[in-house]
Amino acid sequence: MSATSHQFDLIINLARRNFFLQFRGSLLGLLWPLLLPIIQLMVFVFLFQRVVPLGIENYPAFVYTALLPWNWFSVSVLSAGNLFLAHRDLVRRPNFTPSTLAVVSALTNLLTYLVALPIVLVLLAISGRAITWTVLLLPLIMFIQAILIVGISLFIATWNVFYRDVQHIASVAVMLLFYLTPVFYSLNNVRREYRVPFTLNPMAGLVQAYRAVLYDGAVPDWDGLFVAGIIAIAAFGIGYLSYRREIQEVYDFL
Amino acid sequence: MAISHTDAKFRKSTIFYRAAGENKKVNLVLEVQGVSKLFRVQRNRPATLKELFIQRLNGRHPAAAVEHWALREVSISLEKGHSLGIIGHNGAGKSTLLRLICGLGRPTTGKIQYWGQIGSLLELGSGFQPEMTGRENLLTGGILGGLSRRDVEAIQDDIIAFAELEEFIDQAVRTYSSGMYLRLAFATVTHFDPDFLIIDELLAVGDSRFQQKCLDRLKSFRRAGKSLLIVSHDLDQIRASCDEVLVLEEGRVLMRGDPESAIRSYYDVMRQRTEKRQAQIGVPHQFTAPIQQGSRYGTQEASITAVRLLDGEDRMTDHIYVGSPLTIELEYLRLNTVSDMACLVGIFNENYTKCFETFIPSIQKASGELPARGSIRCRLPEVSLVPARYSVSVGLFPPDWSFVYDHHGHMHTLHVMNESGIHADVSGILMVRPDWAVRPLDPP
Repeated sequence: MSATSHQFDLIINLARRNFFLQFRGSLLGLLWPLLLPIIQLMVFVFLFQRVVPLGIENYPAFVYTALLPWNWFSVSVLSAGNLFLAHRDLVRRPNFTPSTLAVVSALTNLLTYLVALPIVLVLLAISGRAITWTVLLLPLIMFIQAILIVGISLFIATWNVFYRDVQHIASVAVMLLFYLTPVFYSLNNVRREYRVPFTLNPMAGLVQAYRAVLYDGAVPDWDGLFVAGIIAIAAFGIGYLSYRREIQEVYDFL
Repeated sequence: MAISHTDAKFRKSTIFYRAAGENKKVNLVLEVQGVSKLFRVQRNRPATLKELFIQRLNGRHPAAAVEHWALREVSISLEKGHSLGIIGHNGAGKSTLLRLICGLGRPTTGKIQYWGQIGSLLELGSGFQPEMTGRENLLTGGILGGLSRRDVEAIQDDIIAFAELEEFIDQAVRTYSSGMYLRLAFATVTHFDPDFLIIDELLAVGDSRFQQKCLDRLKSFRRAGKSLLIVSHDLDQIRASCDEVLVLEEGRVLMRGDPESAIRSYYDVMRQRTEKRQAQIGVPHQFTAPIQQGSRYGTQEASITAVRLLDGEDRMTDHIYVGSPLTIELEYLRLNTVSDMACLVGIFNENYTKCFETFIPSIQKASGELPARGSIRCRLPEVSLVPARYSVSVGLFPPDWSFVYDHHGHMHTLHVMNESGIHADVSGILMVRPDWAVRPLDPP
């Protein structure tokens, strides 16, 4: 059996295990990945359609298309600090490559995303919009986001073994990044001179792309997606290099 | 293809075989060459970035690290189908060596190479997820062990049958007893057909019948040409299951040889440590009685002040009848520095063959406290030894067995007699009452 197919088996099995493990013992079970984003959505709709109206049409569908990928990103990054620390038994196992855990975590949270995705259809139908062929671009955008998440996760997981500050810094960063990502507002609300941080924020580019293919039914802004892709690859490079450099120390330290 | 920690830091979970003919050492499954491992134990190591910055700001370098060589220039090789035991006292470097072989951590110097898939019984059952069922954990364990999903599904019934968990396999592992848990873990690891198995302090698994099943499994594993690497404190188990034994002491390989001579050198190390310690602390208790036979040694931090052999009516004696009870009682006196100890009692025949031995690993745990002076009694309800002269050994040890407080080796004589007081026509060690019968057979 080849190494690749075995690694594939392993990742799929662990991701499936971790996914179902989240809901083991809960009454609502698999309804949770559906309920959570809907509750978040209701808050946003109340705030930005009633309290401080932003004047965006079909607001529920607009928010929902960006909310899911954002949750995928934030949950993955927030849990990355514990990847090696909480899976000490796996990391210390012979023949186990610890970086697998970052891929598994990204995949587990992607499953949560995919379970909640079909609701977009309902929201679009209510608003009278149709799904177009551009949804076929979804896997590409998800792939770029996965690379970004794995890179950042590896970085945080590795350094958090030595300095627990890393996970706290990461949670502050995720919180700030949320406001710099057009999830509940549109980039059109932002004046041109303030756009620079949005260009440099890969999640902004990705969220815009998701929204384009799902909500607008249009081709995404290739330039923005390209920049996000470059940043994702850079993040992956930095994450993987620090992992490679420090992994032996991680073994000694755990 | 050879994998080593120095030239390929990152191993993949696959099976690597070195191509035949590439090297003369084709039969090796493991080669450790000149491996040393340095641990820097840093006091006041910054645990957060803040502390790091503060230390740097104050111009202090991180506090000087205490260096500790856990292993020095250790070389071992393991051939296909062989089993190697590693013995040594606590802190001798056994676990560090095993961990390095498993790829956990990089040797400071030297090289570790292996060919094939390692199965490890280190931390048995780690990686099990308590909320998942036994079957789900078995699947994950199998894939982690290097099999494909399909392979695991094909052999899972064998594993479940071996672990004797047919009824419970679809329940969450958290509901398992510790015995069930270990049975599943052991069955899982040993059924995945690794090329060599690493075993650390094995076989506290389940009841004695299941332990025997485990030992049989390991035997058939060896017959199949697989290799074993065993670390254990149980010298009898090492003697029974290893072709060769390596003695580690303070990170160095003291010797490598057949089990008997290795175990002898292990005892020598214990004696040396005791003498070294004795020289450091002086003699706290004077020997009270002259030694008539056997030998006595130890640091005397806890000292055996009297040993008595008692018969069924608690009368002092040095002879008992076959099959009657015997109580071995010892009195001790200890220093305040001794907070816990282990007690060993054994009976040997005149050839110094061990007939029986037993120990309490921790007197404190067994009795709740350790009086400054006290007596320890070991009652044997039925001594079924062949009538002969025997000697009794008793010893007090620190709970990690790293040296000796006081050991009376073959110092006390015990005569075992049969009822009439005359030795009957039996020999050996164990007394079984023979009952002969001779009958003519009908001609065919």
